Amino acid sequence: MPCIPASSPGIPHQHQHQHHRALAGVGMAVGCAAEAAVAAAGVAGTRCGAHDGEVPMEVARHHEHAEPGSGRCCSAVVQHVAAPAAAVWSVVRRFDQPQAYKRFVRSCALLAGDGGVGTLREVRVVSGLPAASSRERLEILDDESHVLSFRVVGGEHRLKNYLSVTTVHPSPSAPTAATVVVESYVVDVPPGNTPEDTRVFVDTIVKCNLQSLAKTAEKLAAGARAAGS
Amino acid sequence: MAEICCEEAMSPPATATAAVAAAVSASAAAAVSSAIDRRRRRMEMRRIRIASDLELQAGEDGRPGKRQRLARTASGAPRPDEDSASERPSCGRTEEFPRYGVTAVCGRRREMEDAVSIRPDFLPASGKFHFYGVFDGHGCSHVATTCQDRMHEIVAEEHNKGASGEVAPWRDVMEKSFARMDGEVGNRASTRSDDEPACPCEQQTPSRRDHAGSTAVVAVVSPTQVVVANAGDSRAVISRAGVPVALSVDHKPDRPDELERIEAAGGRVIYWDGARVLGVLAMSRAIGDGYLKPYVTSEPEVTVTERTDDDECLILASDGLWDVVTNEMACEVVRACFHNNGPPAPAARPSGVPSSAEAAETENGGAASVKGISKAESSDKACSDAAMLLTKLALARRSADNVSVVVVDLRRGL
Repeated sequence: MPCIPASSPGIPHQHQHQHHRALAGVGMAVGCAAEAAVAAAGVAGTRCGAHDGEVPMEVARHHEHAEPGSGRCCSAVVQHVAAPAAAVWSVVRRFDQPQAYKRFVRSCALLAGDGGVGTLREVRVVSGLPAASSRERLEILDDESHVLSFRVVGGEHRLKNYLSVTTVHPSPSAPTAATVVVESYVVDVPPGNTPEDTRVFVDTIVKCNLQSLAKTAEKLAAGARAAGS
Repeated sequence: MAEICCEEAMSPPATATAAVAAAVSASAAAAVSSAIDRRRRRMEMRRIRIASDLELQAGEDGRPGKRQRLARTASGAPRPDEDSASERPSCGRTEEFPRYGVTAVCGRRREMEDAVSIRPDFLPASGKFHFYGVFDGHGCSHVATTCQDRMHEIVAEEHNKGASGEVAPWRDVMEKSFARMDGEVGNRASTRSDDEPACPCEQQTPSRRDHAGSTAVVAVVSPTQVVVANAGDSRAVISRAGVPVALSVDHKPDRPDELERIEAAGGRVIYWDGARVLGVLAMSRAIGDGYLKPYVTSEPEVTVTERTDDDECLILASDGLWDVVTNEMACEVVRACFHNNGPPAPAARPSGVPSSAEAAETENGGAASVKGISKAESSDKACSDAAMLLTKLALARRSADNVSVVVVDLRRGL
């Protein structure tokens, strides 16, 4: 079953920057490059409100970050999964096994750590993509709040200073049977590209991964139900 | 150095004698070989598996005893023909058995994701129709290998759907075939039978399948026509009186009409290490890649070209060749090999028959890179030499990709 990301009404957009979809028809991610936001707000480090209309209230605090500033951009992708939160989290939390749900992973090797915070992994990417490898450090692994965060610290790709946060929480409308996954990120805009370019590229990859996660978790949950009955 | 010498080979006088052509060919081959030897010392090529005549390889190395890591030898040649060829110059028995050469090389990439399919006489009851396909996979090899196994069957089925006695238009046949092939690839995850081996990406999770895709350049050669259908950035070229004629145009995302189509569908072309659809994929058409539809479509561009007496050869190859070798250079290399070999021998060369063990060989533990060659086939030396030389030229010019080359002899009256 294809999952359609939902949009929920939320707090009105906080700052003056034009609010727009990264790409009509491709995901529900929103974001902005707030080149002028810092100056306009007059306060350095002010909170970014770009995702306020998109990120569910239950997990909004985990996706908060400072205004990206010039040369940076941010976005968030929301995915609905027809499986219990526990099943989804069991897949998401395996930092040592990204291939369990992420597409485009050819192999993953741990360089340090054993899956907990501080673990460093080297992901090799499949052919055809504009990247060969990515070196990533696990920053947060919260099994109670279902929050995972990692930082990209190296590799052969153009995404510098990439930091992502993924949250998993029960869907308000069907808490025991459905889950909402949110992945947000902040990243540098590569030389020669625009913030919009960067969001289109990264959102495409993140969206594919979350759709794959949905399929994987739904199969896992279906298997568990079959075993239980 | 290699480039300068090979450029010379591009422009021999039109009135050059066979001897001069042979000299040019020898010079070009020697220059390329020398350049390859030097560059080979500098390259960190973890795998080079070149499908080629063992005899040719041993001869060129000057070390017959050396063990070669050869993947495949595949060529076609006319069977013994008791009738005189001169009696039927334009449509003799020689048309019944295709003459071709093929190489498929891993090159500088770690994985071999190209696949080649050669299916002589692939249309039941029609005869004299030969299928050639080059499929350059990305993301995983399973889309290319599925095309290798199935595309010719689908084309044959679509061709035979025409009303009895009525010829189905080739454009329709190809468009429907590519759509069916794309559908099969997309559905494969749910329909794969238990006894079918899983490919590497499926071993991890079946849902991953729609992130992989493949180019497809397909040619159907009959006594009167060459039909080409292409999706992606592999390419088909014929040499006609020494002049290259492109039978396909690469589907790059920034090709003006492709850019327009993608944007009209709501997509974006972003320059991210080159022009890419959504910044991800460097081609605008492919079999598979479900996650990028409708921006990346499998609809082929089809050309139907009437054959002429001036036609010399057809070359199908992946972008591992075309990224570093021009159409002109490729045609000149083939012409030189044809001149060097003289007219093809009327009988098969026994030494060129691949052994059963060799025919069963596979690369990287996966599927064979070239399929469709029966043990009864034997080498056509000129075509094999040409395919090999083109491949070596691509590697010498530091192609960064798998290289697959098919050379088909289109000369008549031989």
